[in-house]
Amino acid sequence: MIALTRLIAKRLATASLVLIGVSMLIFAIARVIPGDPARIALGPNATNEQVAKLRTELRLDDSLPAQYAHFVSELLQGNLGVSLYTNRPVTTDIAQFLPATLELVFVAGALMVLIGLPLGMLSARFEGKWADNLIRIVSLLGVSAPSFVWAVILMLLFAFYLPLFPIAGRISEQYAIDPVTGFLLIDTLLAGKPWAWLDAAWHIALPAFALALSGIGQAARLTRANMVETYNTPYIEMARSYGFSEGRIARRYAFKPSLIPSLTIIGLDFAAMLGNAFLVEAVFAWPGLSRYGVAVILRKDLNAILGTVLVISATFLIVNILVDLLIAWLNPRIRHAEQQP
Amino acid sequence: MSAPTLAIDNLDLSFKGLLSRTQVLHGVTLTVEPGERVALVGESGSGKSVLARLVLGLLQDQRGVEVSGRIDFAGTELDQLSRTARRALRGRDMSMIFQDPTSSLNPMFTIGNQFHEVLQRRKPNLGSDQAHDTARSWLDRVAIPDTDRVLASYPFQLSGGMNQRVMIAMALANNPSLLLADEPGTALDVTVQAQTLELMRKLAEDVGTAVLFISHNLGVVREFADRVYVIHRGHIVESGQTADVFGNPGHPYTRALLAAIPRITGEGIPDLPEQIDLSHPPVHHNTGSADHG
Repeated sequence: MIALTRLIAKRLATASLVLIGVSMLIFAIARVIPGDPARIALGPNATNEQVAKLRTELRLDDSLPAQYAHFVSELLQGNLGVSLYTNRPVTTDIAQFLPATLELVFVAGALMVLIGLPLGMLSARFEGKWADNLIRIVSLLGVSAPSFVWAVILMLLFAFYLPLFPIAGRISEQYAIDPVTGFLLIDTLLAGKPWAWLDAAWHIALPAFALALSGIGQAARLTRANMVETYNTPYIEMARSYGFSEGRIARRYAFKPSLIPSLTIIGLDFAAMLGNAFLVEAVFAWPGLSRYGVAVILRKDLNAILGTVLVISATFLIVNILVDLLIAWLNPRIRHAEQQP
Repeated sequence: MSAPTLAIDNLDLSFKGLLSRTQVLHGVTLTVEPGERVALVGESGSGKSVLARLVLGLLQDQRGVEVSGRIDFAGTELDQLSRTARRALRGRDMSMIFQDPTSSLNPMFTIGNQFHEVLQRRKPNLGSDQAHDTARSWLDRVAIPDTDRVLASYPFQLSGGMNQRVMIAMALANNPSLLLADEPGTALDVTVQAQTLELMRKLAEDVGTAVLFISHNLGVVREFADRVYVIHRGHIVESGQTADVFGNPGHPYTRALLAAIPRITGEGIPDLPEQIDLSHPPVHHNTGSADHG
């Protein structure tokens, strides 16, 4: 356990360093790009005095390091400032929009794992057979087009020509759900409304699948490659020599050692999903962080830009730490590292 | 007289590539009687290891593999069995010990876990407590100290010699009638190898398991085997009682093999004859026990 605790401490330390780096970078970039946030916020009819007043309020005339110091001291009190776009605290905005995005990304991540890994396992188990070839073609398709293309295609096919799924939104209007966590799939259950849950699941299916497709393909291809390699190891031959069934060998003896290298990449794919979610959200009119993010960037809403980026970076880092821990927990070589001679 | 544990008759094996076809075994005929220890000796690439895998049925499904001839196990022709019936034999009635013990045990599971699953091949409903007890008594028999610690360990936490003993114990735990030992312990150092082979010999004797011992190590073979088959480029070139083959080698290849054993004479590595007369007919020492025709 000592090794695990040390691992967690190390990852958290690295993650904080990364966050500090990201915040400095975005802080500087947002201020260097041309355009005056105060002018954009007040519109073309505002007087120069009004603009100057707002610039002072926003401390835009201070030096960059002084501005950053101010930002950090506010951040340490849990304050990300006020958005010029919504005139609300940035934290309130993020709390409103982030859950929808996270819900979409988590469902897509779950689909990636639940579909991609078994597909890769099947593919390796039947290497060279038709099932393998089919899965390889499908996963190559998934990898070869970006998710917003899949979003458009899936929407056309399964929401427009064949209206099986809703075209947009998170839930039908007839269901009024009090936001508790902001995750509709959880809130509907908390409210004890199974039909609303089904409706929310029905709404999220297409966008999540579109977002997951490239991840599914990636996960399947990786798992297949790792498992095909594992199949050539002496311990698989030994398992066969003991007459264990091929299904059991695939599920137990070959899959588990192959999972570890796949998981690292799955963690990184999750990061790609956070980015791609912006485009998929745009296609499906998903009320997540993307519309907010794009709007505040166009308006040069400094506080909101920084807040959005920081939250997304933190999510990414946390997920990757969790994946690392999962790998450490799955891999006896790491788990028992301190016992090795 | 009961049927031999293993009877291989006129076995051919070839691997078909895209353009070429390589014949690996040429009409191999070989028997192992119940409880007998038989060695198959030959240099690397002579086809020894594929023979063991053919007996287990591990190679037949691979692409480009062509097999003809017949393998009988305890009076049953193996090719007549369904795939499932054949698989059912593995791990129960026949088992195998591999060259490199550490990489042959799965790195993701503890020894105890793997032992349990091997025992379940014979007794599917065996609980983990019973399995633990059985495994412990087997590890005792292969002279492993501190059995509880070993059972809780992963293969990479143990030494090669320890893993080798574990593998021997696993292979014999289900009382198989045939044990295939493919160059066991070649990956280990010589003293450890000698110890574990001695253990394997004793245990096989206790359990009454017949052993087909595949090796290139003539010294070990001489100690271990009742009978010897010498294989060269997929042909059996000589067979007979160990004493006869070693004492009176009839085939030029066997003589060359014997001459190739380094001796502590200070004369350096022995010279090998460049050309071996391969047209020489196979030599079968008439020993009585080998003849069941």
